[in-house]
Amino acid sequence: MTQRFRPPATALRRLFVGGAAIALVYVVLAPLSSTDAGQQLGLPFLTDRLWFRVATTVAMFVVLASAWNIIGGLTGYASFGNVAFFGLGAYTTGVLVSLRQWPFGLALLLAPVVPALFALVIGIPLLRLHGHYFAVASLGVGVAVGEVVNNLQPLGASTGLFLPIVRSNLLFFYLMLAAAALAVLVTWVILHTRFGYGLLAIRENEEAAAVIGVNTTFYKVAALMIAAALTGLAGGIFAQWNTFINQENVFPIEYNVEMILMAVLGGAGTLLGPVAGAVTLELVILRLAGGGAAAAYSQIGLGVLLAVTVIFLPRGVIDFFGGQSRLSLWALRRSLRETSV
Amino acid sequence: MSQLAVRGVSKRFGGVAALTEVTFSVEPGEIFGIIGPNGAGKTTLLNCISGLYDTDAGEIRWEDRSITGLPAHRIARLGIGRTFQIVRPFGSMTVRENAATGALFGQPSGRLQPRQALAYADTVLDLVGLAAKRDYPVRRLTVPDRKRLEVARALAMRPRLLLLDEVMAGLNPVEIEQALDMVRQVNRQGVTMVLIEHVMRVIVGVCTRALVLNFGRPLIEGKPEAVLRDPRVIEAYLGERYARQGGPDASPTQADGEGGGGAGQ
Repeated sequence: MTQRFRPPATALRRLFVGGAAIALVYVVLAPLSSTDAGQQLGLPFLTDRLWFRVATTVAMFVVLASAWNIIGGLTGYASFGNVAFFGLGAYTTGVLVSLRQWPFGLALLLAPVVPALFALVIGIPLLRLHGHYFAVASLGVGVAVGEVVNNLQPLGASTGLFLPIVRSNLLFFYLMLAAAALAVLVTWVILHTRFGYGLLAIRENEEAAAVIGVNTTFYKVAALMIAAALTGLAGGIFAQWNTFINQENVFPIEYNVEMILMAVLGGAGTLLGPVAGAVTLELVILRLAGGGAAAAYSQIGLGVLLAVTVIFLPRGVIDFFGGQSRLSLWALRRSLRETSV
Repeated sequence: MSQLAVRGVSKRFGGVAALTEVTFSVEPGEIFGIIGPNGAGKTTLLNCISGLYDTDAGEIRWEDRSITGLPAHRIARLGIGRTFQIVRPFGSMTVRENAATGALFGQPSGRLQPRQALAYADTVLDLVGLAAKRDYPVRRLTVPDRKRLEVARALAMRPRLLLLDEVMAGLNPVEIEQALDMVRQVNRQGVTMVLIEHVMRVIVGVCTRALVLNFGRPLIEGKPEAVLRDPRVIEAYLGERYARQGGPDASPTQADGEGGGGAGQ
């Protein structure tokens, strides 16, 4: 099983090790933030609350991109509705904490459960569709759930929900980081078990998978439920972290575009591709976000980037550095042929 | 007792009657051939048996139980393996991993772990002659090798019945001989076989009995040599004029040169 995951080229591996080292230092030093020790060390990011926001957001998108990768990358079902799972997770926590006065920890436990059950209900009919049809149908679900929530009076409708403020940057940073680690761990386990083989077989040829004994419906629905649970967990953490949720901030379709872009750019179907994609792209997006006109252009840029990636690097940047992809006319022709554009 | 019994199976696609009241049965250990001109419904029949299509009428029985309407993965685990005329390998996997998927999901008894499945894959790759190429990515395989891989993946399921959809199409005479040896060898291990073929040498060479389909209807069933001399069969393949002339010269010894095209898909 392991031989499919070609070791990335040395340059890429160094990049990964370097990135991981920086991340680790930050994770370990994080408790020193806003303390005298942090000041004395003279590390600017440790005294800056903005950095926590950035790091937490990056970790959140690692969860979203890795979760999307399970259904979109491994199973081959490009879901445009994953943001619904994020919103449902956020609203599960939000409703329980703000309307039912549950402790946050307890409410967070249900944040993955509700989206997973929702994935079960919509997955059975939706996953009968293929390709573009599934993509469009899932987009419909993603938009519809947000609209429904926006109109439900008991859920605060368009006013949204306010959660009691928990002042701890550190808590949310570590929670989101744990969720990211969990998402990567879950992907690793899937890739190394029977279940992962089944998902890949479905992605490569669903009828061939069925006639060798893969229960395709069960596998597809299970993959969607796992993706939904992880996405919902991130949503639940986000709700308490942000202390305010409404349709706009937990059901934004841009999140869905971004998680797809991150997974595809980094390398859909790989273990670390979505992680690399999420870190890189989220830092770029946050960098551009403050820049006025640049922010508007960045949306166009992301779209172009997605198109270029899919055409030239169908297996992502990870494969480009470590594998067979090359930027060439030949690669373009092959990729157009394979995607039958 | 027949191992596989197809009773009055019909299948329509809109206004097209792809199969009409097809009936035949296969005994344990047999090599049963299904032949017929392009579009006769051969692949449709295989799709009905393996559960990819629901039948509109009739019953399919396997080892004394009805498998009509069962989903494809259940039928697979009951011991029925199949190959596709247009090969469908899992492109992102190696040759060995492709074969291992068959062992991983299709074996009727117990659940294998990936490691055991890979080990089992080696034994079937040996049998089909792909052992040396087991670590190749699929895209490096030639067409005959891809057909072998298709068979290996099905064999890894340890099937008691193997449905082969034109595995010989597009092979040269030497490769056909090799493939025939492989078919005989698998059959000797106790695997019943149903094979769709256009290459008549294959039908005469290995099949115990053959069924001829024409426009979705069974035309004749019997010993391969007898079936191929039947005027109705010659007419179905070559038209009425040749059937009237009769004689062995007019028999369709190699009726097809299409080489794995889209017949009956």
